[in-house]
Amino acid sequence: MNHQLILKNNQFLLHPSGAIYWEEQAMLLVADVHFGKVSHFRKHGAAIPPAVSEENFSNIDQVLQQFKPKTLCFLGDLFHSTLNEEWTRFSNWMDDLDCKVSLVIGNHDIIPLYLFEELNIEVVPELRIEVFLLTHHPTKREGFFNFAGHIHPGVRLTGMGKQGLRIPCFFQSEGQLILPAFGTFTGKHILEPTQKDKVYAIADGEVICLT
Amino acid sequence: MNREELIAIAEKWFDEQGWKIFSFQKKTWTAFLQGKNGLLNAPTGSGKTYALWTPIVLQYIKDNPNYKSKRTKGIKAIWITPLRALSTEIQQATQRLADELETGLTVGVRTGDTPQSERAKQKRNMPDLLITTPESLMLLLGSKGYASQFKTLTAVVIDEWHELLGSKRGVQMELALSRLKVVASKLRIWGISATIGNINQAQEVLLGADPVYREKSVLIQARQKKKITVQSIIPKEMDTFPWRGHLGLHLLDEVVPIIRDSKTTLLFTNTRSQCEIWFQKILERYPEFAGELAMHHGSIAKDTRLWVEQAIRNESLKAVVATSSLDLGVDFAPVETIIQIGGPKGIAKFLQRAGRSNHRPGETSVIHFLPTHALELVEASALKRAVTEEVMEDRIPHLLSFDVLIQYLVTLAISDGFIPSEIFTEIKTCFAFSSITEDQWMWCLNFITIGSQSLQAYDEYKRVIVTPEGLFKVESKRTAMMHRLSIGTIVSDAMLHVKYVSGGFIGTIEEWFIGKMKPGDTFVFAGRTLELVRLRGMTAQVRMSKKRTANVVSFMGGRLPLSSQMSEILREELQKEDADGKKSKELKALRPVFKQQKKESIVPGANQFLIETFKTREGYHAIFYPFEGRFVHEAMSGLLAYRMSLLKAITFSLAYNDYGFELLSDQPIDIESLIDNNLFTTQYLFSDLQKSINSTELARRKFRDIAVISGLVFQGYPNKMIKTKHLQSSSQLLFDVFKDYEPNNLLYLQAFRETYEHQLEEGRLRQSLERIADQEIVWKECLKPTPFSFPIITDRLREKLSSEKLKDRIKKMTLKYNK
Repeated sequence: MNHQLILKNNQFLLHPSGAIYWEEQAMLLVADVHFGKVSHFRKHGAAIPPAVSEENFSNIDQVLQQFKPKTLCFLGDLFHSTLNEEWTRFSNWMDDLDCKVSLVIGNHDIIPLYLFEELNIEVVPELRIEVFLLTHHPTKREGFFNFAGHIHPGVRLTGMGKQGLRIPCFFQSEGQLILPAFGTFTGKHILEPTQKDKVYAIADGEVICLT
Repeated sequence: MNREELIAIAEKWFDEQGWKIFSFQKKTWTAFLQGKNGLLNAPTGSGKTYALWTPIVLQYIKDNPNYKSKRTKGIKAIWITPLRALSTEIQQATQRLADELETGLTVGVRTGDTPQSERAKQKRNMPDLLITTPESLMLLLGSKGYASQFKTLTAVVIDEWHELLGSKRGVQMELALSRLKVVASKLRIWGISATIGNINQAQEVLLGADPVYREKSVLIQARQKKKITVQSIIPKEMDTFPWRGHLGLHLLDEVVPIIRDSKTTLLFTNTRSQCEIWFQKILERYPEFAGELAMHHGSIAKDTRLWVEQAIRNESLKAVVATSSLDLGVDFAPVETIIQIGGPKGIAKFLQRAGRSNHRPGETSVIHFLPTHALELVEASALKRAVTEEVMEDRIPHLLSFDVLIQYLVTLAISDGFIPSEIFTEIKTCFAFSSITEDQWMWCLNFITIGSQSLQAYDEYKRVIVTPEGLFKVESKRTAMMHRLSIGTIVSDAMLHVKYVSGGFIGTIEEWFIGKMKPGDTFVFAGRTLELVRLRGMTAQVRMSKKRTANVVSFMGGRLPLSSQMSEILREELQKEDADGKKSKELKALRPVFKQQKKESIVPGANQFLIETFKTREGYHAIFYPFEGRFVHEAMSGLLAYRMSLLKAITFSLAYNDYGFELLSDQPIDIESLIDNNLFTTQYLFSDLQKSINSTELARRKFRDIAVISGLVFQGYPNKMIKTKHLQSSSQLLFDVFKDYEPNNLLYLQAFRETYEHQLEEGRLRQSLERIADQEIVWKECLKPTPFSFPIITDRLREKLSSEKLKDRIKKMTLKYNK
């Protein structure tokens, strides 16, 4: 059900949850979880079912269980907007984690950074590991392969009989791979690949290469 | 003064104007002065405004014998109009009577267009008569001290009630009335409605289940038959008449002589983009009309619209291309000719438009009908019959619209707050909520106070709070502000303002349209070719462009289905083709099309149900012809596709129009097994429909409005989209979330209920399936698309239904590339 990808002699497993496991570094990459988004909406009077935010925690727990990584790296938009009570839930969840946690800061991470640091989360504007560059906004830089989030990529498929579908995906272009949004309460943005791009779609609990 | 003396005052005034008093007017005056409530069934242009405004003034005179010298303060009446455009007319008419009888009564207008300063003035000192819209009335109920402000009311008049009845604005009105009845003890409720099929029900909904109001009520019907003549515009050469299309431009040259021969002509189109295109094309081919031709639709700046309306009255325009924005009310006496472009789909709408010409009691109205494709000629023939036989559609009222109820409750909570037990008693008198249960009521209260049905740990849900005294109130200024901006039940896409770089407002267009464009791209809007310069917040800055472009602004939605009454007449008309006897000239003109259809297939007779199959580059097509109107076809196609998908794993794409529907697949469609397995059965209809809908996504679309109306989705502050970014979500996403986590949510369930009751018309579907069961199924394997199938298979708006695994489907599909 995972899709294996070799990039610059490193092994990456694309997981149907939207996460990527990096074998050599024993690192789990997760983009755009948007913890706290449901609570943020509720605080402002939009009655989103509270159970939705629990789903994010249980999804991420499952992936951690499967790979048992040394490092968990969030590629931005970890906590949506201003502080709310879900932060307490998040702090408790962090207490039970036994791996290192890093956060590449994203545009929705607007709470004071020391709050993350208090939970032992390493906060960085970007991460460089060997030839790999980990950012929130997709960034192309000479000599680096970039992993990023932010976009919430999806693609549109068409078929015989005027069929059409929109599904979330990992989107790979030259020197770059954009992860789908991990969070449950997030939308997707439709990208149109060129012939050079590679698209790994997520469907029925599998990662399927479309190109 | 007694009633006779009061009525004598009015009679004298009518006499001075040289007007005759219609008997329905006098009946209404009497009933009103007797303290009755009621519904007045009278068409526009019949003198209905004076039928109701006169007794309100007379009542004031009665209550205030010294009215000429001393004015009694406080609002006397509210006049509700569904369209802002109508308010000026009503204001002029009502003010005139008030002034000439020297009452000193004042008339004020309050709509979305009323400036803030004027509103503040009204707040301090209410006019005697307030002309307003349902939305603006709701906003007033959302302001502090409304109860004492409205306690002097003697009447609420709801004009064009038939327009509100079948929509959620009607529910909104019912709720507002349930409150006003309690606040104002001397209130009379009156509605004015054009003729509809269910006029008695219209009265029932208006007055509610309140016995006091129902017993003292009357239905007054104006017996004025309007003479209407329908003339179809038939091309000389039928061979060149297109089989499909909805624009009708091929007949443009036939329209011009009609415009030339008449003083003022209104051309009604069915959509705003069609309106833009027609305006553009007439000027392109007949530049001499420049300056004499104007355009009118809902997205054009209000000033421009008012100017156009005034110009029609001054007779300074030769023709106006319009949409339903000109359907209602406004009196345009100089209009001589009406042209309807494309099928109006409903008889009532058609009659209303026909009534725009020679808008004076007693005169004959002529309406020209321009079919946009060949089969629409059958519709013309059917319309003619419907007009002579006076067939009328029903307006189906909405029931248990929890989204509107929730909005209403929060509205009360932002003004003075409310006590649930009091409001529950009131809303149960509303027709829409007469069957609401205690549980459902509790659900709504929980929804606005704790945002779910049980208290959650770590939860900070905030909307309405309960004070220790048990008053439900909104305390947060921000919540109140967001709610005020969201009041209303008409949901549209996010709108962008279109302005010149140098300033000057042109109108509003939907965000998705601009979203497709880059700076430098050109588009046609409000009859002008514009170049997009830049986007700034919620404003698109443009400049005039000399470039030619085919990119005409377009708007979502707006296609109306054929009503059941029309469908029936249409089927009968079609079958006349094979019968002997008199054929209308439309049917005669259609002969070449029928000939081609018969060559490839058949024209189905009264006891035949036609299925055609053929293969094209696009896949395997199966076309079914129930002739039941778009909505029923939508449901039936979903139902059949679902039932067929149970027989084998297959994916369908569905299309439909008013005449039939299509199942299209990449695999051959097995019609034999469809007939053998009796897939048209009415057995398990409800559960099959439910499952097919799940896939066909109809409820999802209904949910969009529900989410906005109930406040689940906030559409943002005007011109300040950025600030609310953190609070934006799509209703699509929400729908999925409810499906997975709260399938019992009343708002989520409402989306399905609305789909069955208003969209799929389950009752009509059942009837047509029963009809099909009695018919002989004729299956034609055709070599190529037939004339009947053409408009359907070329339709781009499609639904999907699949029983294949997502993974398997993906393997067969191709990725959409950026070229």
